[in-house]
Formats: sequence, C-alpha cells, structure tokens
Amino acid sequence: MSDLAIELFGVSKRFGPKVAVNNVSFSVPRGAVFGLIGPNGAGKTTTFSMMCGYLYPSEGSLKVMDVDPATPGALKGRLGALPQDAVLPPGWETGALLTYWARLSGLAEPEREAREALEQVGLMEAWKVQTQALSHGMAKRAAMAQALMGRPPLVLLDEPTAGLDPRIAAQVRQVIRDMKEKRQTVVVSSHNLQELEELCDAAAILDKGSLAQAGTMSELTGQGSEFRVQIARGDVLIPEIAALADVTDARMEGESVLRVRIRGGVRPEEVISRVVGHLLQHGVLILGVSRGQRLEDRVLQLL
Amino acid sequence: MRDSARFAHILDGLKETLVIWSAELRRAVRSGRAVVLLGLYSMFSALVLLVVGWLASEIRSAVSKQLETAGADANATAQVGEEMRKGVLGFLTSNDTAMMEALAQVPLEVLVVFKITLFFLPAYVALMGFDQLSGEVGPRSMRYLTVRARRSSVLLGKFLSQASLLVGLVLLIDLAIFIYARIANPDFGFADVVLNLLKFWLAAIVFSLAYVSLTTLCSSLFRSPAVSLVFNFILLFVFWLMDTIGRASGDDGKLRFLRYLSPSYYAGDLLHPKLAEFGASGAAYAGFATVFLLGAYAVLRARDL
Repeated sequence: MSDLAIELFGVSKRFGPKVAVNNVSFSVPRGAVFGLIGPNGAGKTTTFSMMCGYLYPSEGSLKVMDVDPATPGALKGRLGALPQDAVLPPGWETGALLTYWARLSGLAEPEREAREALEQVGLMEAWKVQTQALSHGMAKRAAMAQALMGRPPLVLLDEPTAGLDPRIAAQVRQVIRDMKEKRQTVVVSSHNLQELEELCDAAAILDKGSLAQAGTMSELTGQGSEFRVQIARGDVLIPEIAALADVTDARMEGESVLRVRIRGGVRPEEVISRVVGHLLQHGVLILGVSRGQRLEDRVLQLL
Repeated sequence: MRDSARFAHILDGLKETLVIWSAELRRAVRSGRAVVLLGLYSMFSALVLLVVGWLASEIRSAVSKQLETAGADANATAQVGEEMRKGVLGFLTSNDTAMMEALAQVPLEVLVVFKITLFFLPAYVALMGFDQLSGEVGPRSMRYLTVRARRSSVLLGKFLSQASLLVGLVLLIDLAIFIYARIANPDFGFADVVLNLLKFWLAAIVFSLAYVSLTTLCSSLFRSPAVSLVFNFILLFVFWLMDTIGRASGDDGKLRFLRYLSPSYYAGDLLHPKLAEFGASGAAYAGFATVFLLGAYAVLRARDL
C-alpha cells in the first residue's frame, strides 16, 4: 500500500477545444487534509471530479487509494465524496435516501450509519423531510452526511462550506478536524483561503487549469523562510537587521511592517528572537510578529 | 483477476443492482407519476374498449336488421355474424389459421384493444422512463450513485425497476380488460379467461421490454430529460416508418429489408400458438432489448458524469 492517497501524473482534461486542466501533477499523502485552491475556472472541480471517477482524464493518469478511479467498483467503500452542484434526487425523505445509499455502499447497518452521519452534521431534524423541501444549507449538509457514512479512508469535499451560515460552516470545519484526528485523508476544494489555511496540512494551487504550486502549508506560506514584525513606534535600522546572523533580507512593507527573510535550514524561532531583541534594544515598540505570509497573500502573489 | 475475485466482483455488482432496483421501484410506486400513467393507460384502454364495443354492436345490429328485412332466419343471421367475426379475426391475425383457431374463444374487443395498445405501449413506456438516467445525469445526482455502485449496476437496476413497474401496470390493465370481456361475453369461460390473460400478458411483456430498453438507451444519450423524450419519440416514429415502408415494398421491393430492423414487425406472432413462431418473435424482441441495453451501457460507461 502506497503512502499516498492520491497521485496525479500529467493529468489533462479537455472539453472539446477548451482545456480545463492542463498537465497537472501532485500527490496527497494519506492522513493529510489537503486543499485544492484556485479562482473560478482554475480547474479545481474538474480535478476533483476526475479523482472521484466522474470525469475521465483526456491525458495522463491518476491513482486514488492505489487504484484507477475509472475502474468499476474500485473505490466502493473507500471514498466519500461531496460533489459541488450535485442535486439530491427528489421524491425521497432525507433519512430514507441516506439509508438507501448506505445500503448501496454495502455498510452493515445502513440506517444507523445514516443517522450517525446526519447527527454529525447536525441535521437529524431533516430525517423525515423530503429532499426537495430542504433549504440550500440543509441540502449541503445532507450531501456532506452521505460522504461521511461508513467513515471512508478518503473523503473529497468540493466547496463544503459554500453558502452555509457561519455557525454551520464552523461545525463543518470541526467535522473535517475530527476526520483528521481519525487519520482519514480529506481533500477540500474551497475559495475560502482562511479556512483552508486553518484546516490543511498541504495544498495545490491551480490557475487557469495548470498547477501554480503544490506543497505543505508551511512551504506555501513560507512559514520557515520569512516573518513579519508589526512596528508600533520607533526607527528600524534595516542595514543592521539585514546583517544579523541567518537573515538573508530585511525590508519595510509600508510604514509599519518589517519583513525579514531567513536562511534555509535554520530554526525560525532563533532568528525571530534575534531580530526582536535587536529592535527592543533600539527602542522600537512592537505590536506583533507573524510567521510566513497569509495563504491569501501567497495565492494573490502567485495568480 | 483471480476467479474468486471475479466472482466476488460479479456478486457485488448483482447486490448493487438489487438494491437500486428495489429502491427505485419503491420510489416509482409511491410517486404520483405511476398513478397518473396508470390512469392514462386505463382510460385509454377503456376508451378503445368502449368505442370498439359500440362499433361492433352497431354493425351487428345493422346486419341483423338487413338480414331480417331480407327474410333470413336465425341460423342464417348467426352464420353471417360468425363470418364477420372470422373476417375481422383474419384481418387481425393476417389470416394465420393456427392463430385464428387459438384466438377463437377471445372476444374481438379484447383483440382489437390489445392490438391498439401494442401500438401505443412504446409511447407509454417512453413517458414512464424517459428521465431514468438523463434525470440523474443532468442535475448530477448520478454522482452520488457512482461513488458507491458500478455504472452497470445503476443502469441495470433502473432498467429493472422500470420493467417491473410496467409488468405490474400491464397486468392490472389486462386483468381489467379480461374481467370486462368476461362480463360482456358470458360464453368466454373462466379457464379461457385465465389462459388468455396469461398469454396476452406474456406477449405484452416480451414486446414492451424491448421498448423499455430503447427508453433506457435514449435516456442514457442525453443530459436533458426533455431531449431524451423527444429523441425517443423520433426513434419510435422511425421504427414505425421502417416497418411500414418495408411491408409496403412487398416481397421484391428494394426496401423490404427495412421491416426486419424494426421491433414492431415482430409483434404479429406474439400470440401465436406454435412455439417456433412465438419463440422467433420473442427472440427478436430479446435481441432488440439486448442491443439497446448494451448500447446504453456503452454510452453510460464512456460518458463523463
């Protein structure tokens, strides 16, 4: 068994003349929470759909849990998926529909699985409600619940919090954290970069169908390579800071933010302490220190 | 793949089919559409039955009056009535002696209704199942199914649920027609009613399963249910046209082979008492059903969802 839950090798997808995904390669380690990041039309949902076996790649190959997702029945019981924009079929009570799907997944106690999954997303009151009568948020949670049934080792969530109110969105994030604790691999596609930064161990940034960058969250945000100091008052002596050990670059961003780059392989806390000590010695008052960039800034820089 | 793994794979696929079949059938039975279609089908059959019954009765009474005016006795009137019946039966069975003998006990109204409903049954089947796949592919709810079941299981489960529903609805309608025929014709004995009911039901099943498969194929081709329905009706019309042109070409015409490509051509022998004739007709319908289903699977297997 590979250590990777998902592997993409030069995957492309064309819809007629339009290239939706172009030669994308990255991998998702088992047990990680992995983000798929990108603006509208970046190819996130297409990539997600290929991982689930909904779409076939035009070129390249991909493996999900060591198998080709296009192989009939290969991912049964090993993959839970929340597809974006997939409508729940009408004419079903939510509980009956989830029980039917749990039975189809071959789960031993379908009704119990359905109840537990609905409880997990806080939607037990919808058990007897017809799917077409569910609000957008409730339908989204019901769809999320079906992905959780049977606790599959890999869960793919396409925009899981889009359109949810903040309280429910926080509940969904907690569900993702719980899955991480249980060593389930989770892939989350989202526009909410703050949410992804908080949840994910690693991510792939897509733009116009191509991979802009992939790596751990620390690599993407440069947490080990730079930090920022918010200055309240005082004069910052840039040449002196730049001359400190293991500092490769120091400059002001605007009037009150000092950005410092660190030499690779060095423990950041030592350099941060050194720089902060220097500033305090020279009478500079500090409001705060943050490591790396915010993911949002990094993504805006890349795209 | 090792034999045991292959066996487990097949068994799992069958289980999926069974789960989908039972769930879809339950949903269909509970849905309003099944009731509406049952109402539509029964009203249509009742209308045909009433019109045909009224026409037959009018013709019989007009002929009786004319014979009375001509001074014919009761025996002669009965003989003319029997000749008329044979004439109509001959028309309905293409003058096949064996079939005429086998259907001698069946009231003409039942035969006419059966023939007419066979003509409209494909349209009824299309109305019943046009969205079985396109209705799931368009709004992408199919994606919830295909992460937990093979596409072949989804196709087969949905086809079987449509087929089961149709088998039940046709039985209900046939039963109603035969009960009416029994009440209207006291000479139509109970044993004949049961035997012919089974025969007509079986014939309708064999006939309609090919059209359920055709509807499944049309539904697999498009994302929009409305487009599936229109395309289904177009194909029905094309098949009817092929049969008509093929028959009109006679035995020597260049287009005579067209009729063999149309399912409707094989409907004539579905009530044939000889096993060989019925078997050939049944085999043709089974062939069409298989081709349409395989086509639907090929489309569904290859398509992006």
